[in-house]
Amino acid sequence: MTLAHPVDLPAAEADLADAVGAWLRENLPPDWLAAVDAGDHAAVERIRADPGRRAAWFDVLGASGLATPTWPWGQGGLGLTADRASIVTEQLVRYRAERPNQDFVGLTLAGPTILEWGTDEQKAARLPALARGRELWCQLFSEPGAGSDLAALSTRAVQREDSSWLVNGQKVWNSYAHLADFGLLMARTDPAAPKHRGITYFLLDMRTPGVEPRPLKQMTGNAEFNETFLTDVVVPDSARLGPVNQGWAVAITTLMQERNGLSGRPVVGQGESDRLVGRALTTGAWRDPLLRDRLVSAFVEERALQMTTIRGFVAAGSGAPTAEGSIRKLAHATLSEKLGVLGTELEPDGAVAWDAGERPVAVDAFLAMKTYSIAGGTSEIQRNIISERVLGMPKDPDPERHKPFQERSRG
Amino acid sequence: MYAEQRDPEFGWTGEHRQLRETVRGLLAERAPVSRSRELAEVGERYDPALYAALAEQVGLQGLALPERFGGYGGTLLDLAIVVEEMGRVLHGGPFFPTVALAAPALMAAADEAACAEYLPRIADGTLTAALAVVEGSGVWSADDVSTTADIGGLLTGAKFPVLDGADADLLVLAARGPEGVSLYLVEPGTPGLRRAPMETLDGTRRMGRLTLDRTPARRIGTPGQGWAAVVQAREVASVLMAAEQVGAMAACVELTAEYAKTRRQFGRLIGSFQGVKHRLADMAVRLEMSRSAAYWAAWQDPGTDEFSFGAATARSFCSEAYLQTAQDTIQLHGGIGFTWEHDAHLYLRRARADMALLGTPTQVRAELETTVLAAAAELDSAVPAWPAIEVPA
Ligand SMILES: Cc1cc2nc3c(=O)[nH]c(=O)nc-3n(C[C@H](O)[C@H](O)[C@H](O)COP(=O)(O)OP(=O)(O)OC[C@H]3O[C@@H](n4cnc5c(N)ncnc54)[C@H](O)[C@@H]3O)c2cc1C
Repeated sequence: MTLAHPVDLPAAEADLADAVGAWLRENLPPDWLAAVDAGDHAAVERIRADPGRRAAWFDVLGASGLATPTWPWGQGGLGLTADRASIVTEQLVRYRAERPNQDFVGLTLAGPTILEWGTDEQKAARLPALARGRELWCQLFSEPGAGSDLAALSTRAVQREDSSWLVNGQKVWNSYAHLADFGLLMARTDPAAPKHRGITYFLLDMRTPGVEPRPLKQMTGNAEFNETFLTDVVVPDSARLGPVNQGWAVAITTLMQERNGLSGRPVVGQGESDRLVGRALTTGAWRDPLLRDRLVSAFVEERALQMTTIRGFVAAGSGAPTAEGSIRKLAHATLSEKLGVLGTELEPDGAVAWDAGERPVAVDAFLAMKTYSIAGGTSEIQRNIISERVLGMPKDPDPERHKPFQERSRG
Repeated sequence: MYAEQRDPEFGWTGEHRQLRETVRGLLAERAPVSRSRELAEVGERYDPALYAALAEQVGLQGLALPERFGGYGGTLLDLAIVVEEMGRVLHGGPFFPTVALAAPALMAAADEAACAEYLPRIADGTLTAALAVVEGSGVWSADDVSTTADIGGLLTGAKFPVLDGADADLLVLAARGPEGVSLYLVEPGTPGLRRAPMETLDGTRRMGRLTLDRTPARRIGTPGQGWAAVVQAREVASVLMAAEQVGAMAACVELTAEYAKTRRQFGRLIGSFQGVKHRLADMAVRLEMSRSAAYWAAWQDPGTDEFSFGAATARSFCSEAYLQTAQDTIQLHGGIGFTWEHDAHLYLRRARADMALLGTPTQVRAELETTVLAAAAELDSAVPAWPAIEVPA
């Protein structure tokens, strides 16, 4: 069953939420719904952990357009503006019916980039699968020699007689590349051109021979990101996204989506600080007036960020994200570190030692707190963007900007 | 109370934009920041001709007052736009104390006769008013009200600092009577009332000390329910002050960005140094977060829990953000920013003074604890962080 055409979706926020809620109640498997209604989180998690059931649900969800509400009507979405889409997302989260965070690259980066730059064939081939959760995507942008200076990437793609491309190089920090079906790949196609003008963007099938992701253990102890070796990988020209040597413009679409998508909930409500307050009550840290002030401060800051996200989404409407997204991403990165440290301070022993098997959540949050200040462009890079694009400051000097890429200095 | 909001959150309309442009244009012409400085330097309270024009030409004093009391029935959001523009140019004088403090207190006391008598005169610009609550401690708390009202309604005590207290045409006071705290009205010239101007950190706003010695006063509203009215008025004023601070912050950011794009050192524009660029970027973040907090609050309906929460959030966030922004403004201007002639210190003075005016941010956060605890009690552990901690990008 599908929802009505977007023009028939209720205009009022509450009505839209109700319509989505009603649809979920009608379509979710009965035991899933019962577990949600009973507040039985463990049962919901068990259902979600079953690959077959999860896939079946994402298929139903994807067909309705609710997994990708901002995508255009007729292309797998409902054509909703960003702020209205967030109402849909909130409802999905309430019923634990949303797509997992692993799908961030697919839903938030790949989808919108393909929508903007893809051929009809590429859209037809990829968008339905993305919407229905059949494919996991990863981002193959960063390289050992090209992080913040992403345009300095040196992975090579050379076009062959039959128009296919031969790719060689190494990528790094690629989250979920070891599990992914597809990757967003940027490679150098014209080394004689300045660095921004010799890059081409591809949609890489990760099962292609020569693609070799190797998991890297992160500071958190998990191994979610990878280094990805690309050795004589043959990529058909039909996998090229956008014109040859104009991959940087395509990448800007992806990067803008990324910053815009990393600022937290577009809703004024429960956030990370709420959990910390709950924890402080349990541990007794709430009795300390200094910690209390910092907790309320963090609570205020998180709500202010949520308000900013709503405002950003309303302002963006259906338009493309702007540099304003960097403001929210930077604010989120700052807040995330504050919360990460504060969380450990609420533990009686500062979360420095625990009985076997009793690792406090605060430890994970602490170890993950630097994620947002590095991933998706570091906070320094966001500050540059804000300063240059929002406030009009001169661009940072880049002596290599106009030089042919092959004449760059190395090391 | 104030009119209900009809437009969805952050859904600015053409009317909002037009109001902003009108007010900005009028202030640019007749009350730029140089004029605020001039009035402060000569110790003048305000420009009466401008005050009259604000009422007669644009109807700003009565903008958000109900029509039956001579107002235009606009929303608090409209008023927030107006005071934001005033904040940009550090507009002082009786507007804020009258429109953002005393009028909301009169409305909250819900005394029909008093509203009918005074609000129309506030709306037409012929009456200025002040709200006198704190008594030196700076804390907005019913327990800190020790000015007393005896059985005969005679007030004894002291109120300070009171915004525009030495000059306003009407004083709205909180005092403790036999039934508890109530609101009282006192007009200048009443026996036993002494008013002395105080010297102020922020010269653009006048403050006074009121001493009351068996001063006859008129009690308004339900006896003993005055503190509830003070709380409501303070919330309205907090939202409006936050909007005013957004205007001031925006002016600081613009001033500083402009300077960084013209001042050269080491053969380069200082705006090309990362130390400068990054501090500016942080200023922009603070400004935008403040704008969201202030206007989210202004978009809620007074009297709701959301409004109370928004007011406290905006007050806590914006007043600290503004102080830091004013400090950064001076920093990025170097020596010129430290001079009397430059406007930067005027913004800094205003920022610090604002912090003390409606209860300090620390007090506001202590008050927020109840709300925060309620939110934590409703924690739904099923709702994952969004996006979760580990983002794959
Ligand atoms: C958890 C996590 C997940 C990630 N997932 C992915 C992924 O899925 N796909 C992917 O392609 N990448 C991913 N990344 C990589 C991420 O985008 C890069 O790490 C990031 O852009 C920084 O690049 P770098 O590591 O090379 O650091 P560098 O660019 O070498 O930076 C080192 C330091 O120098 C500073 N610096 C660099 N240039 C400037 C400048 N111009 N001005 C001021 N300071 C500067 C940086 O801010 C930083 O502090 C991930 C990273 C993390 C931490």
